[in-house]
Amino acid sequence: MRRLAVAGLASALAGSLAAAPALPHFVDETDAAGLQSRFDGDWEYMVGGGVAALDCDGSGLPSLFIAGGANRSKFYRNRSARGGALRLVAERSGLELTSTLGAYPVDLDGDGQLDLVVLRVGETVLMRGLGDCRFERANERWAFQGGNEWTTAFSAAWLDGDARPTLAFGTYIDRGRQEFPWGSCTDNVLVRPARGTDGALRFEPPQPLRPGFCALGMLFSDWNRSGRPALRITNDREYYKGGQEQLWRIAADAEPRLYGPADGWRPLQVWGMGIASTPLDDSPYPAYFLTSMADNKLQALAGDATKPAYQDIAFARGVTAHRPYAGGDVHPSTAWHAQFADVNNDGRPDLFVVKGNIGQMPDFAMLDPSNLLLGTPEGRFVEAGDAAGLRNYQRGRGGLLVDLNGDGLLDAIIVNRWDRARLWRNVGAGTAQAPAPMGHWLAVQLRQGGGNRHAVGAWLEVEAQGRVQQIEQVVGGGHASGTLGTLHVGLGDAAKARLRVRWPGNRWGSDEGVGPWFEVDADRMVIVDREKGLVPWPQP
Amino acid sequence: MAATLRACLVALLVAAAPCFAAGPEANRYSAAVATEWFRVVLPAIQQTPGQSPPVAARTLAYLGLGLHEAIVAGIPQERSLAGQLVELESLPPAQPDDTLHWPTVANATLAALTAMLLPNAPADWKARFETLERSMPVLQPQDFDPAQRTPEVIVRSETHGRLLAMALMTWARTDGGHDVLGARRQRLDANYVAPSGPGAWVPTPPRFARPLLPHWGANRPFLATLERCRIPGPPRYDEQPGSAFHREAAEVLRVGTRPSEEERRIALYWADDPGKTPTPAGHWNWILTDLLRERRADLASAARQYAQLGIAMSDAFVATWKIKFELNLLRPVTYIQLTLDANWVPPTMETPPFPEYPSGHSVQSGAAAEVLERFYGRDTAFEDRFHNDRGWGPQRFTSFAAAAQQAAVSRLYAGIHFRSAIEHGSTLGRCIGAQALALQTR
Repeated sequence: MRRLAVAGLASALAGSLAAAPALPHFVDETDAAGLQSRFDGDWEYMVGGGVAALDCDGSGLPSLFIAGGANRSKFYRNRSARGGALRLVAERSGLELTSTLGAYPVDLDGDGQLDLVVLRVGETVLMRGLGDCRFERANERWAFQGGNEWTTAFSAAWLDGDARPTLAFGTYIDRGRQEFPWGSCTDNVLVRPARGTDGALRFEPPQPLRPGFCALGMLFSDWNRSGRPALRITNDREYYKGGQEQLWRIAADAEPRLYGPADGWRPLQVWGMGIASTPLDDSPYPAYFLTSMADNKLQALAGDATKPAYQDIAFARGVTAHRPYAGGDVHPSTAWHAQFADVNNDGRPDLFVVKGNIGQMPDFAMLDPSNLLLGTPEGRFVEAGDAAGLRNYQRGRGGLLVDLNGDGLLDAIIVNRWDRARLWRNVGAGTAQAPAPMGHWLAVQLRQGGGNRHAVGAWLEVEAQGRVQQIEQVVGGGHASGTLGTLHVGLGDAAKARLRVRWPGNRWGSDEGVGPWFEVDADRMVIVDREKGLVPWPQP
Repeated sequence: MAATLRACLVALLVAAAPCFAAGPEANRYSAAVATEWFRVVLPAIQQTPGQSPPVAARTLAYLGLGLHEAIVAGIPQERSLAGQLVELESLPPAQPDDTLHWPTVANATLAALTAMLLPNAPADWKARFETLERSMPVLQPQDFDPAQRTPEVIVRSETHGRLLAMALMTWARTDGGHDVLGARRQRLDANYVAPSGPGAWVPTPPRFARPLLPHWGANRPFLATLERCRIPGPPRYDEQPGSAFHREAAEVLRVGTRPSEEERRIALYWADDPGKTPTPAGHWNWILTDLLRERRADLASAARQYAQLGIAMSDAFVATWKIKFELNLLRPVTYIQLTLDANWVPPTMETPPFPEYPSGHSVQSGAAAEVLERFYGRDTAFEDRFHNDRGWGPQRFTSFAAAAQQAAVSRLYAGIHFRSAIEHGSTLGRCIGAQALALQTR
């Protein structure tokens, strides 16, 4: 197995070369797979360009929705052979929409079929999953008012045990004030489920989350493991007036409240584009990676979890990613989608950052390769994008790491502005002709009864190699891109693992809502059902 | 350097704290890169459409602030002004692993900001901006040592400088003063209707022009403490002979009708009209530039002084315009024609097209004197060469206060301001200057 040569200054200082992370290999299969999507458009499409991955036919393999901007969005059914080459087939699914910026899968009505929240320039559309990858517009059915804004971010949570979801939408610039967009950010909105509807899903009119500061990323995440997620919003300083990053405390029965200095929240202003989160260093509390222009931020709690006081550890961890690492362009980078995931199955989170110039900004890199930063045992990250073959020099926007062929290796998708979306198959330690696994892995789906079928807000704990990995089940984050279905876990050399679930609402340190440990063999998909326990994945 | 880098890495590993493996600090370089830029920008302001006095002050403030923030990481113990100014919580920091050449950073920042703040400068001036940026290493070889400026250091330094400029401009665009020639702003100003009634400002002869920038007072100031600077209002409006208001008007009529030769010279010297000069803020920045050059100041000192002078003068205009358009007091020419001499017009200069109280020149000069006294001392004599090209200089002043006082009273000699607007304006300016100096730079 090849390993990446790490010019690890920290390791060098310590007098020994640290174990370098294993290097995965990505093979561009855009054409071979049949992916033919472009994200085009001018001013209103300078942001967005997302992709959603969702298993809508029960195959265990996620299909793709790709936003088109000025083009119609497209749906691709995943026809990949397990462990084989990627194959996507464009199908009419009801998702062929205009003016799309991105999308997130989520089972809104708890019927077991993933629905799709489609962000647009104009009305936001909720597309109800009908099964077998068919979708229909459901705004009217669910009394959802989609507005007419420039909607650029989304997240969802089931708050305080509610059986129905609360939705948060981030909006960008006032579409009526484009002649002078600065200081023209519109309100974000919170859409709560309506009461007294006999279990049928209905939404209340949108409630403004004011002030809005041109949100480009949103994530409900349980930052302090209180059992109640808060809404983190990353905002674009290019256009707001007096803005900053935001964290909202949102409860089912109370008015939303912004965390402020009195709560320990520290102001931060970045060209916020996207959010990714993962716990680091065996901490139970997630760190948040915020993409921006030039240097990106990695925010970790500065103290304990009693207050949301974050410090930037991006430089210390080697993830500032503030300029192109290859290609010769010397200007600052522009980063958009971000995602933590284990691409080499070594049991450590890696970081995928999609980059690309906004358009023709001369002071920023035009050749701005996306990053694949591999986690090291020391907690730092090292660049491996070029070495891994994940080379994208276009104007990247949204993207995803997701296992498209069920081989336990996360494949990569990038949506490019003014260019084709691209697709790479992760062939592990092998080649396109002879893929080879890297480490062991698990793909875990969470299930429970009630409206929150996918247990959004739960934490999956996987114990292997003497460590416990923790992964939060979220809907939102990234940049206009999301997936929901299975949680991918790399296990390294461990052929077995133990796993359990802290179900939504569990408070860290409490046994309430904590499921039992299950032993499981590696390299397979499993379901953890809150009532039934560990359930094998039904073979397709 | 190797030891520094090792210490840096140890600090990072232990505490995740940023540190700098940098080259020479910014105070080891001369102020030349800054003064060269201001020497070019000041006449460019004069020839750029839309750079009326309030706008020019804003332009110079962002240049000074940008200069300071660009090199703040290179000045030992220096504090950023981000976090101290209204709605500016942070600016992009220099990357801890980047060795930067601070004159190159400053050059890039000032070039980028100049281009963004004067986007409609005449083409020949834009060419001069580009030439200056490119030729700075040749013009100032003592600060641009090729041994310090490896290709990588140049790239890193220019990148940081431009990024800082961009971040600053994203904030600047939302202050209410951006794009004064844009359609949105033009519509807004065209729709302004001045309040009417006894004592209310009306357009003045001979042009009867619409008021200049009636919404400028609503702009976001730099200083969070600007509201602390308050002054009493003018005398109660009264048309009766013998009233305080009438007496002040009679003084304007007397002094303004037949100014002495010296008074007339002073009135014209400090007029600092837009289009003919770089405006009042430009005048005081010119004085500062000369002082920095004469005293061979270092880059860090220049950055601090340009920033605080610029902020004081820009906020002085915001505060002045707020009061002017809230009180909306008529000009002396209007009052005098109404009560004393129906045919009178100030013989020395035209009355500017905006309300009278307080005197903008008085606020400006008061703020500038307060700032410069802090840096150079109360009793420092200096030579003002601002009007040398017109044959009016150099003019020697015994102190900044003396110059400020002369600038203020020049408006009485010109017949365009009442005395209380001048005196109270000076007080207001002093207060604003003190607030700018209260910013923590160390």
